[in-house]
Order: sequence, then C-alpha cells, then structure tokens
Amino acid sequence: MSTIIGRNQTITDLDAEAVLTGRIPVESAPRRRPGRRRAEPFTVVSYVVVSLFGLFCLIPLWMIFAGSLTDESTLASKGYSFLPHPFSLTAYAMLFSGQSLLKGYIASLFITIVGTSLSLSCTAALAWVIARQLPGISRPLTIFSYIPMLFTGGLVPLYLLVTQVLHLTNSWFSVILPIMLAPFLIFVAVSFFRQLPEAILDSAKVDGAGEMRIFFQIVLPLSKPILAVLGLFYAVTYWNEWFMALLFISDPGKQPMQLILENLIANVANAASLPGASAAQAAAPIYQLRFAMTVLTVAPILLAYPFAQRFFVKGLTLGATKG
Amino acid sequence: MQRRTAVVEVRRRRQSPRANLALLLLALPGIVWFLVFAYGPMAGLVVAFKSFNVRDGIFGSPWNGLQNFKYFLESGDATRIVVNTLVLNALFLSASLLAGLILALMLNEIRGSLYRRFVQSTIFFPYFVSPIVISIILQAVLAGVSGRGGLLNNLLSVIDLPQVNWYTTPGPWPWILTIVKVWQLGGYTSVIFLAAITSISEDVYEAAALDGASRTRMALSITTPLLFPTLGVLVVLGVGRIFFGDFATIYAIVQDNGTLFPTTDVIDTYVFRSLRTVGDFGTTAAIGLFQSVVGFCFVSAAVLVQRRVDKESSIL
Repeated sequence: MSTIIGRNQTITDLDAEAVLTGRIPVESAPRRRPGRRRAEPFTVVSYVVVSLFGLFCLIPLWMIFAGSLTDESTLASKGYSFLPHPFSLTAYAMLFSGQSLLKGYIASLFITIVGTSLSLSCTAALAWVIARQLPGISRPLTIFSYIPMLFTGGLVPLYLLVTQVLHLTNSWFSVILPIMLAPFLIFVAVSFFRQLPEAILDSAKVDGAGEMRIFFQIVLPLSKPILAVLGLFYAVTYWNEWFMALLFISDPGKQPMQLILENLIANVANAASLPGASAAQAAAPIYQLRFAMTVLTVAPILLAYPFAQRFFVKGLTLGATKG
Repeated sequence: MQRRTAVVEVRRRRQSPRANLALLLLALPGIVWFLVFAYGPMAGLVVAFKSFNVRDGIFGSPWNGLQNFKYFLESGDATRIVVNTLVLNALFLSASLLAGLILALMLNEIRGSLYRRFVQSTIFFPYFVSPIVISIILQAVLAGVSGRGGLLNNLLSVIDLPQVNWYTTPGPWPWILTIVKVWQLGGYTSVIFLAAITSISEDVYEAAALDGASRTRMALSITTPLLFPTLGVLVVLGVGRIFFGDFATIYAIVQDNGTLFPTTDVIDTYVFRSLRTVGDFGTTAAIGLFQSVVGFCFVSAAVLVQRRVDKESSIL
C-alpha cells in the first residue's frame, strides 16, 4: 500500500525533474537523421510522467471502489487495500434494501433529465436568435446575455429570490432553475450556428418555410453534434450539483445523491440511518457505506464516460478556439 | 467574405416583422430566465444597503446606509478572506496551468494512439468527479477510517516521520487544495493545450529535426512558445475570475471545520456560512456586492486585455 503513495508522491518530483531535464542545454546531443529515431530521453520521460499522472488520477477512485467492497472491521484495523479482502457486499446490500438510494436516484435523475432538456432547448433557441445577426435584436441580446458573465448578484439575493419570492423550497426546480443557463455555453452554440451553411437556410426561406420551421426542422437536425456537447455538459453539471440542493432542499425524501453523500461527510452518524431503519444495524459499517454510496454516485458518469468523452473533448476544443 | 456579407444583407432586407416576432418568441424563455435569475438578483442587491427582515421583504425593509459594509470591514475577517481568496486562486491557477502545459507537451510525445487515448481519457475524468466525492476521497487519504491516520499518515509512518492530524493543522492546506486542483483540472487543461498543439504545422518540426533538434529541444523551443497565446488567454481568464473562490470544492472539503479557516476561508465560503449560521442577510449581501464589484473590475480588465491581444476569439 505504501508503494502506491510512494508512486503518487514521486509524480511531483518527476514533474520537476522533467522541467529540469528540459532546461538542460542539448547542444551536445549527437545529430540524428529524422525518420528512424531511437527513443529519445524526453519521450521516455514523457511516457513515465504521463503514466504516473494517469495512476495519480485513477488510484484514489480505485481505493474508494475497493474500500466499498472491504469489510468494515478490516477497513478499521488494517486500513485500505488495493484488493478488497475479505470481500464484502454488506454495504451494497444494505443500500439496495433501503429506500434512500432509490429516492436519491429518482431525485438526481429528475433534476438531470428535466434540467438538461430545459437548458438545452432554451440555450439552442436563444443562441439561434443571437446567431441570426438580426439588426436591432441580436446585438442587444448578445450584450444582455454577456453581462451576467461579468457581474452577478451573488448568493444572498438568489437565496431570497428562490425562498421568499418564488417559494421553491423543497422543489427539485429550486436546483434546476438557478443554474439553468450557462452564458458561456450559449456563446459556444452561437459560434457553431454561425458556421451553418447559409445556402440551406436561404433556400428554405425561398421555399416559404417560416422562422419556427427553419429552426426546428433544419437548424436543430443539423446541429446534433453541438447539442450533444451542450447536453452532456449540462447533464454532468446537474448530476454533480449539490450546493443548490443544500440551500433549498431539506426534505430527506427529496434529496439528490450528491446531497445524501454530503450529509454523510457532514455527519458520520447520519450514515447509520441511511439504509432504512433496522434494529439489527446498531453497528452499521459507516465508512464502507459511505464508499459504496460514492461509487453509486459516480457510477452513472463513469458508465456514460466512454461514449461521451469524445464529445467533451470536442466541446472543449470548440470553446477554447471560439469562446 | 464579401459574398457572405452580401447574403446577410439580402437576408436582412427580407426579414418581415412577423418573422422577427417568431424569432423573439424563440428567445423568450431564455430572456425571461436571464431577467429572473441573473438580473433579478442584481436588483436584489439593494439588500446590502438595508436592515433586512423577512416580514418587510426585500424592498420594504428599512434602509441603513453603509452600516452593513462598516460591520463587515470592522469584523476583522475582511482582510483574511480577501487574502485567502487571492492566494488560493493564484496557487490553483498557476499549478493547474503548469500541470496542463507539461502534460500536454508530454502527451504529445506519446505516439501509440490507443495508449494515448486511454491515458487522455483517464486524466480527463477527474474533471467530472463532483466536489463531494473529492471530499470523501480526501478524507480517506488524510484521515482514514475512524480517524486512523489515513493513507498519507501510513506512508509517513513507513519512513519514520511523525503522524499529522491534517484536519486540525491549517498550515499545509493551501498546498493540499492545490494538489486537489491539479488532480481535478490537470487533464482538462492539457486537453485545451493539446488542441492548440494539433494546429501547429508539422513542417516546423521537420525543419527542426533536419537541424538535429532533439525532442526536448522541440518541446521547449517550438511547442512551448507557440502555446503562449493559448496560455495567455487562460491566464487572463483565470485572473479575471480570481475574486471568485472555487466555492463548491473548498466548502465540500473544509465544511464548517473552524480550525482550517485561517488558511482556507474564502469570500464565498464566508458568505455562505454567515448566511446559514448567522442569518444576517444585510451584511452577507454587502460582502457579496463588494465581491461582485471588485470581481467585475478584474473580469472587465481581463476581457479588455484579451480583446486587445486576440480580437478573433472575442465574443463582443
């Protein structure tokens, strides 16, 4: 186990080392022909450093996973181990038998699905109108959507708005609405829409298609790639959102996964009450439960990740070059 | 370019009021959202100048001038949280940019496309891990099960160093949080840099190879300088946001652990805590307003600099 941390620790050293080796003048290096080359030192160092950083990213997640499958008494006496031993499914069994997990998933799914649909449709529609460059409309709208990136009202007025004016306390919409639109993503969409071929739009217009029809039947189908990118960014944001839930959702039956987890950190004792009331659980495996809950919270993202990852990279690149 | 503007001209002339109405209808939900959730809270900032009570509401509560600001500045917390915000953000920004830059340079050396894609996906993943989960991981590393040391202390005991009770020692926390940030953002930042690297012409490298440049030399004397514009944009954007702490991550990790406040309490966490525990809306809103105004100055300056440097990528 100590070797694991040992590796982790050397990463920073190696980074520094790589920088240092980079600074060493290389004039003395023998001239080589391009084409067939021996592996150069920098390439070798790169493989090592990048692989170590990969481990640095993976190992914490693996430890949590292994911990969730390790018997609590072993966790307490021997600490964490790479492979769960003795193997124990107690925490998962408890979580799946209780109601909290199901309720948490329902809340998180509602927030994510409804939120993403709302975000996506509003973002696309607004961005399209901005992208049309209509005189007297598009530019004011651009400034209108841009100002909130520069200046915000802050937490207190938002809190008062949601609780005193809109009375959304304990509603899932109190999590969705405050974070529904991200100005940055609107502008990512705008820059994509501006690249759509003008000819198609003009011909549709000549054929008598109205603005609504152009948007829904031509623009949206042509924009599937960008809609996927935006949808994924919004979906991850909603799934990971816990702060709004912390502020506005106090009803335990309505709390999303992240907030249930948050409660487990804030108060370890809460864990005991997690898997539904049962007298036999006087000594609930608190830490194992916490890890299992973490795994179940990350799992949906992890499962979607292999399919979604290329969209994220694409979206980032778009944002970076056009943002 | 000429033709494109011509087309736009034609389109503009053809636009009927009815079509404009349809388009405005499309934009309406977004406009309403901005009015309620972005501009509404801005108007709500008047609370900063009031002695707020729930009964009279936002606009009915009596005014109290600059009392709220005075109270905040005299509380003695102001300097601490402002300094913490600036120091932590500066640390986060420089560490994650440096890590991203180094990772991008090194990922660029990896030619096997399958392995490269695998590593890239791996180091990008932490970006999608929520602050709460990060907090749980960190507790496992620093505190362990029932306070039994944790991974890091286990390592310290192997090399005969004294155990540290991390959650009661504020000193190392700026560095701990910085490492967390590198974990979270290193891969993400490297993807941005890699995107810029792919746009560098292959000819430059071939010419360098003919002149006998090593890969190290190429990375340092070709790739790195060509990444400076991207780096510049990221620095400017980061400095623009420097007055806004990364609330979610810090609060998820530190929670209400008072012993760590001297080094980790930032404006956002302070605001949140006073809102929850003290319930003093006026003072809290005053701090928020102060943050927004100073933040606005930073962001505007950043946008202006960015526009001057790089007109192409600017939005307005």
